[in-house]
Amino acid sequence: MSADTHAHGDHEEQHIHPEPTSFLRKYVFSLDHKVIAKQFIWLGLMFLLVGGTMAIMIRWQLANPGKPFPIIGHLIFVNSDGVVSPAAYTSLFTMHGTIMIFFAITPIMIGGFGNFCIPLGIGARDMVFPTLNMMSFWTMFLSSCVLIASFFVPIGAAAAGWTTYATLSTTMGTPGLGQTLWVVAIFLAGASTIMGAVNYITTVIRLRAPGMGYFKMPLTVWGLWLTAILNALFVPVLGSAAILLFLDRVFHTHFFLAGTMVKGGGDPLLFQHLFWIFGHPEVYILILPAWGVVSDLVSFFSRKPAYAYKVTALGMCAVCVLSAVVYGHHMFTTTMSPMLGQSFMVLTMIISVPAEIFFLNWMHTLWQGRIRLTAPMLFTIGVFFVFGLGGLTGLYLGTISTDLYLHDTYFVVGHFHLTMAAAVFLGSFASIYFWFPKMFGRDMNWTLAKLHFWFSFLPITFIFCGMLIVGNAGMQRRLYNPNEYELFKHLHPLNVWISRAAYVLFFGSIFFIYNFIASILWGKKAEQNPWQVTTLEWTHATSPPVHHNYDVIPTVLHGPHEFNNPAVTDKDWLGQAEPLPSNAGAEAAKKPAG
Amino acid sequence: MMTDVVRFPPPSRPKKDATAYVGMVIFLGGWAMMFAGLFFAYGAVRLKAATWPPDGELALPHALPFLNTFILLASSAALVLGLRAVRQAQPRALTRWLSTAIVLGAAFFALQVIVWRRMWLDGLRPDSGIYGSVFYALTAFHALHVLVGLVGLTTLLPRALRAEFSVARHTAVRMWAMFWHFVDAVWLVMFVTVYVL
Repeated sequence: MSADTHAHGDHEEQHIHPEPTSFLRKYVFSLDHKVIAKQFIWLGLMFLLVGGTMAIMIRWQLANPGKPFPIIGHLIFVNSDGVVSPAAYTSLFTMHGTIMIFFAITPIMIGGFGNFCIPLGIGARDMVFPTLNMMSFWTMFLSSCVLIASFFVPIGAAAAGWTTYATLSTTMGTPGLGQTLWVVAIFLAGASTIMGAVNYITTVIRLRAPGMGYFKMPLTVWGLWLTAILNALFVPVLGSAAILLFLDRVFHTHFFLAGTMVKGGGDPLLFQHLFWIFGHPEVYILILPAWGVVSDLVSFFSRKPAYAYKVTALGMCAVCVLSAVVYGHHMFTTTMSPMLGQSFMVLTMIISVPAEIFFLNWMHTLWQGRIRLTAPMLFTIGVFFVFGLGGLTGLYLGTISTDLYLHDTYFVVGHFHLTMAAAVFLGSFASIYFWFPKMFGRDMNWTLAKLHFWFSFLPITFIFCGMLIVGNAGMQRRLYNPNEYELFKHLHPLNVWISRAAYVLFFGSIFFIYNFIASILWGKKAEQNPWQVTTLEWTHATSPPVHHNYDVIPTVLHGPHEFNNPAVTDKDWLGQAEPLPSNAGAEAAKKPAG
Repeated sequence: MMTDVVRFPPPSRPKKDATAYVGMVIFLGGWAMMFAGLFFAYGAVRLKAATWPPDGELALPHALPFLNTFILLASSAALVLGLRAVRQAQPRALTRWLSTAIVLGAAFFALQVIVWRRMWLDGLRPDSGIYGSVFYALTAFHALHVLVGLVGLTTLLPRALRAEFSVARHTAVRMWAMFWHFVDAVWLVMFVTVYVL
């Protein structure tokens, strides 16, 4: 059967549109998935800087309670002589979490690399609904504006924690417009995410290149696709919680109010249920793109096919299914029935099984590989390390008996930062360094990139392992000044060191910022396939890809990790759409296996 | 490694239409989760409540919402017939059924406003207790979808009058019909749980 018969199969609708010429259409209201990806990444990086600055302010307060924040402190904390006041501190950790999750990770990994990698990785010319794609970005932009505006209203920004538990988040706990604007911003960000999710899911279903079966897709695309599915299903649940909270705040409904003064009565715990029905899938939403990316990169830079590719893909599917039924482990301390608690505990333990399986697949891919320690590979190995630590510490929190002690301590903060902050942070930079040459058509300075790795990986591990220790010693999260408590005073030196590591991490990002901007402006022109890898965007698209990605849509012949095929003699890899050398089949048959 | 043979089914409908259909199914499936969240909240409130309606609250009327259910179902049926008409190359019939659906949808909305007004005058307010909160929040959020659907269907009307839709090209009609059926299905759940039970 020749490939030509397929070539027309599903692709009549993918016309080549002429490249837009007006400035607005080209750079602002662009319909091109590659431009929208860059818009998302710029937005996300800006917010990463803002969220990072907030983290530094939080750490400053914990290391030097009551001392004015250096240099910019007097500009920001005007009414308290540059000192982070208790109210400001509460806003800081609330907005740090919100910004990092919804406005940094989501735009970079899902909005940015979801947009960039899905059409290129499956051999499509663009997303299936380009206008929706553009609206998704501008809805996110609007949401960002609302969020930024919330800093400048009377009484200040939201201050109920990123989890915004009722009744803390109702007008009783946090009066003022800031918290209401927070709810609006989250609803808009959710709407943007749903638009993206509909687009990504449909694109993968409808626009795969001829021959690109589901089990021939790069694992990056698998991760992003599953992310989109979870987004489409569970972000709307956050939407419903946001609607009810908005109604409670603005129209004084009683969904989250209880007590003798309230007729019939709502239920504050209801918010926690709705929040975590969304919230637990959300943590997988945040890590899945990184899982997908590192699954591919570990194969690319070990120069070996990904070990048990299908098992990794199916393992990620299993995690997605299970992620919907474990949310109760966030609520063990809310007088949940012990029977229900135990069910959630067992399910939580079960979800670690598929995760362990593909973790072992990664290790097995590394095993006896010809490892190339490029910058993206360093970040990939960093992801394995911090994610492994984060996963193992999760077991203590998923077990009721230990969780009762560790709940709401810095152990929780350390755990979830290792998984969804450190692992996603390192995974984001693995992606940025890996796809930068394709995205911008320029080479980066790889020495600076490797320096950036060491200045990220070492402090980030130290910070969050340190938090595990202070948490295990009992220090609660969100504490304004632990030194006020006799039992936490001895932890102060460790807190100081955690903060110092945080400063190193923060200033280490200067390596990245300089490298990123300088490479865009003055970097050497990148080759088409500098990493010598197999997926379509590297083998069949120029760097950067032309407006319509592929002049001719390639016909896919192989899986995404075609390394060391004995039939290929001149190189150790073979592109997904590259035919084997002629007569190779016969030669391969002659060669002994292995 | 040899090429795996991948089969593509022959296109039965225009490709764009099928793609839009997949996208709409995914969107509505996701959006349904938002209503599921709201119904979950309502269910949790009901489980906690000793009596429903809570003591001292007026019960909601049944007759008008019951009538409204039929009106909305009829409106959906009109769209089914309209879609069938456009597929059988009868653009005139499409215009007729589309107008019928819009009029019925508007009637639904008007009756809903009457129900709200009556309850409001009887003293039920969103802030007077959880009973009022549930009633106004759920029905208003649904009514918002009815309005969006009405606007969408109304934008189709001039296009239908200009006979823009054909057997091969009527994706917009199909998509708005799907949305309308979704709004209808949500209403059925809402009628049973909010008004009847």
